Amino acid sequence: MARHKGRGLATIEYPTGMNQSGDLTQSWIKLKHDGRVDVLSGTVDIGNGSKTAHRQIVAAALGVPVDWVTVDVSDTDASPWDTGTFASRCTFIGGNAVKIAAERVRERVLEIAGKMLEIDPADLTIEEGVVFARGAPETNISVSDVAHAATWQLGGELISGTGTFVKPFAKILDQETGRIDRDPHAALSYGASVAEIEVDDETGEVRVERFIEAYDIGYAINPTIVEGQIQGGTVMGLGLALLEASYPYYPSPEHRGADFASYMAPSMVDLPQIDFLCLENPSVEGPFGAKACGEMANNGQGPSVAAAIHDAVGVWVTELPLTPERVLRALEKKAAGEDAPRVDGKWVIFDEELSINAVGAPDADVKFTFDPF
Amino acid sequence: MKAIGARLPRYEGAGHVTGQTLFVDDIRLPQGNLWAKALRSPHHSARITSFDASKAASLPGVHAIITHADVPRNVFGHLAFLGVPADEPLLAVDEVRYLGQPIAAVAADSEEAAQAAVDAIEVEYEEREPLFDMRKAFDPDAPKAHHWGNWLPYFGGELENAGPDRRRIRKGDLEWAFEKADTIVKGVYRPAAIEHAPLETQVALAVPEPSGRMVVYSCTQAMHFSAGHVAAHLGVPLNGVKLVSSAVGGGFGGKVDSSSDTIAAVLALKTERPVKWRWTREEEFLCSGTRAAWHIEVADAVTKDGWILGRKTLTLHDAGAYLRHSSYATTKHTFHCAGAYTIPNVSFLAFAVFTNRVPSTAMRGFGVTSTSFLAEMQVNRIAKVLDLDPYEVRLKNANRIGDTMPNTVVLKDPSTVPVVQAIAEHAGIELAPEYKAMTWEPRTGAVLPEWLVEQQAKGGQD
Amino acid sequence: MKITVNGAEHELASPPLTSLLNALRDELNVTGPKVGCQGGNCGTCTVLVDGEPRRSCLLPLAMVDGAEVTTIEGLGTPKRMHPMQAAFHFYYGSQCGFCAPGMITASVALLERNPNPTRKQIQNALGGHICRCTGYVKIIDAVEAVARGESFDGAELTRSRGGEATPKGASA
Repeated sequence: MARHKGRGLATIEYPTGMNQSGDLTQSWIKLKHDGRVDVLSGTVDIGNGSKTAHRQIVAAALGVPVDWVTVDVSDTDASPWDTGTFASRCTFIGGNAVKIAAERVRERVLEIAGKMLEIDPADLTIEEGVVFARGAPETNISVSDVAHAATWQLGGELISGTGTFVKPFAKILDQETGRIDRDPHAALSYGASVAEIEVDDETGEVRVERFIEAYDIGYAINPTIVEGQIQGGTVMGLGLALLEASYPYYPSPEHRGADFASYMAPSMVDLPQIDFLCLENPSVEGPFGAKACGEMANNGQGPSVAAAIHDAVGVWVTELPLTPERVLRALEKKAAGEDAPRVDGKWVIFDEELSINAVGAPDADVKFTFDPF
Repeated sequence: MKAIGARLPRYEGAGHVTGQTLFVDDIRLPQGNLWAKALRSPHHSARITSFDASKAASLPGVHAIITHADVPRNVFGHLAFLGVPADEPLLAVDEVRYLGQPIAAVAADSEEAAQAAVDAIEVEYEEREPLFDMRKAFDPDAPKAHHWGNWLPYFGGELENAGPDRRRIRKGDLEWAFEKADTIVKGVYRPAAIEHAPLETQVALAVPEPSGRMVVYSCTQAMHFSAGHVAAHLGVPLNGVKLVSSAVGGGFGGKVDSSSDTIAAVLALKTERPVKWRWTREEEFLCSGTRAAWHIEVADAVTKDGWILGRKTLTLHDAGAYLRHSSYATTKHTFHCAGAYTIPNVSFLAFAVFTNRVPSTAMRGFGVTSTSFLAEMQVNRIAKVLDLDPYEVRLKNANRIGDTMPNTVVLKDPSTVPVVQAIAEHAGIELAPEYKAMTWEPRTGAVLPEWLVEQQAKGGQD
Repeated sequence: MKITVNGAEHELASPPLTSLLNALRDELNVTGPKVGCQGGNCGTCTVLVDGEPRRSCLLPLAMVDGAEVTTIEGLGTPKRMHPMQAAFHFYYGSQCGFCAPGMITASVALLERNPNPTRKQIQNALGGHICRCTGYVKIIDAVEAVARGESFDGAELTRSRGGEATPKGASA
């Protein structure tokens, strides 16, 4: 009986936006007559922080204080189309949509201010809610005054702008090769995970001591939200790596957990130390360089913990979750000398007993043959 | 203050921490609401031979019982906008294909009265042999899990021009790779089905407006998408439905395709009263969509110094009893089977397989959580089999700017190299100088063997 | 049946076997405590009963007759937050917001009993509260910050950082 330490690495990539793209978001921004900003968008915030991030993006793109900006996602009448809060698309695609709308509003504010100040709009800029001449900040007018004048003195204009962001649908040109006609995603994010664990060879239990995450997320619009996504994803990923299964004895449909007492979601006591390294290589097309990070945060845990188990006790467990039972069975096989892969010429064949060839009776078309297909 | 990069507190956070945020279940209408409960299949696969709700309808407090006959358009597909045909009934018609599949729904004065009515509905079933193991779906004598067969019969879109029954990605010359390889490492990887388990269960409140419009307070992750579903099932244009997005108590993909909005709306349509349907925790665990289980077999052709020359895969995706988003997930999966690496010669093959379990659906990392598992398990095994450093095998094969993915996408800013270098440094791993100096710029050939330069440069394309 | 909720006394009409959670939500319209599982397994319905954290879904009214109940709403309001609420707000201890009502009341009760808990003690005390979003790190950070006596005007926590990101991919 002993505890063994191990360490394992995984590297992951994940697309921003829906696969094959075509998933658009529209937004509409209008100014109240005191210059305050209403953002109407359809991006539902499920806790991911998209409302907060969109507010920051609009404030920056328009040049007004953050607390001037109201984000309204109230219903399908008021909000323009958004495909949904999934596919890691809210910051990049939704964020670009509100940014484009904000830039249009900014352009219009500058045009009106240019007329009022009798200056070419190209020589004006907006910061902190004030329009001023570049290089001559004493020549200025507030966005509030511009909006007020537009509404009450210059014909009652509603200063507004719409923005749509979409990457066109990527068509599969050839079903035999999967060749496509354009990028099937809005961007790609990358990350790496290291699991540091301890395996108890008597109980089969795996304890994660430290988990390191390094993600290139382009640029963090709000670093606290990014940390929250990575930490939350890490723990969800450790759940799927070690604890969770809808069907604990898959393929059997029996023994499903029907509550949090019998379905093993990670709790606070399972929490390891999490180190997060935030890398920022700004994405060319992302709003202010941002890329996605939400979903991929639960992808590195399964493989890195499985690698760490091998490092600790020398067994490969390739079915998730990596339960004590599976670890013990693998250790038993190892003790019996039955864990080595079958070697056939230059083939090194693991996990034969799990293969479709061993369990099912598929025809030659589906069978996993050793010839390249 | 500079807005971008600021650690601003959550916009709606003050409500969250003071208990003042209104989730759907917290909404109180002055006129009150009826409560819904569903009759769900007790079998994994069965024909419904008789259905009698007359006793249930006469119970006190019961206002309406709906079946498939009450739904204007009972079968509507979640991926209709992608041309994928519909297969899943909102309420079962004459057969059930998974345990927990909704057959009928009741609206009553209270949850208890609604449940009592559900329990009083008399149904007779003729059980059929279910299919649970994806690996047996292709057996000639396998039970039939779906009316289309045991796997999605077309990936091409419309039924009429069906297209292939499998998703394929092929690039380069796999035969060359297997020939040239010093070693071929094969493994089987099986990520499990798991639950989203959001703290807030599915809940919907449907309120009919005097104008005839239906307003649904929804916990959906995608209100326009869901509004489209509700309108399609009700057979009304988009101005016939208004979805109100409340706070959402966690989703993780499980609240993309919920049927609760629509069933509450059909009950509200029939009773002309507001109806709330709040799933129990047990329903959320047992009857809501799961992350799919996957079965993946991989063989990698490698050189003795760790170059991955080629990869062959076979993937089975457990769609459960109906398609939902499984064709999408299967395609996305195959697009990413090379992981964060550039593999010049590949052949990826995947099926969306039907089984008699709850349909699987979107979940965080959809389709790709499984590819990360296969790609990384393989790299770790390759390093072990060849006695090489797993960091160096990764850096060697890493995606670089200008590299071509298996589906011919050219990479613009792939960060495999910087993330591996950063994590190695933090973990106290000392990389060899040539790997420490590596960048994400196109390969120069410095680390690349002469004979492989040409293969890499043409991205494995013939 | 009489209970005091957040300082106001109520005579309840619900039957004595009604859960405190249902009475709070359905009779008194106090909707802060959430319906997460109705089985005592998730923690989001936690309220303070005479200062002790209790799962209100498991408590029949008959057992709390005459008790003083504090829910998340009774701790503070958006303009006058309890320090624990402010800490959860600025540290992002809440993402979707659904576990926060129970998580925060239990954290308040923890510091009442143990003003200077270790990280492990916090993990054990809140171990029965499920959060699917945050990964718990920022929840523990928030509780520790309150224990340290940190104040939460947000000025320090919400600062923006200077400058643009420097691409690191191009050079080692």
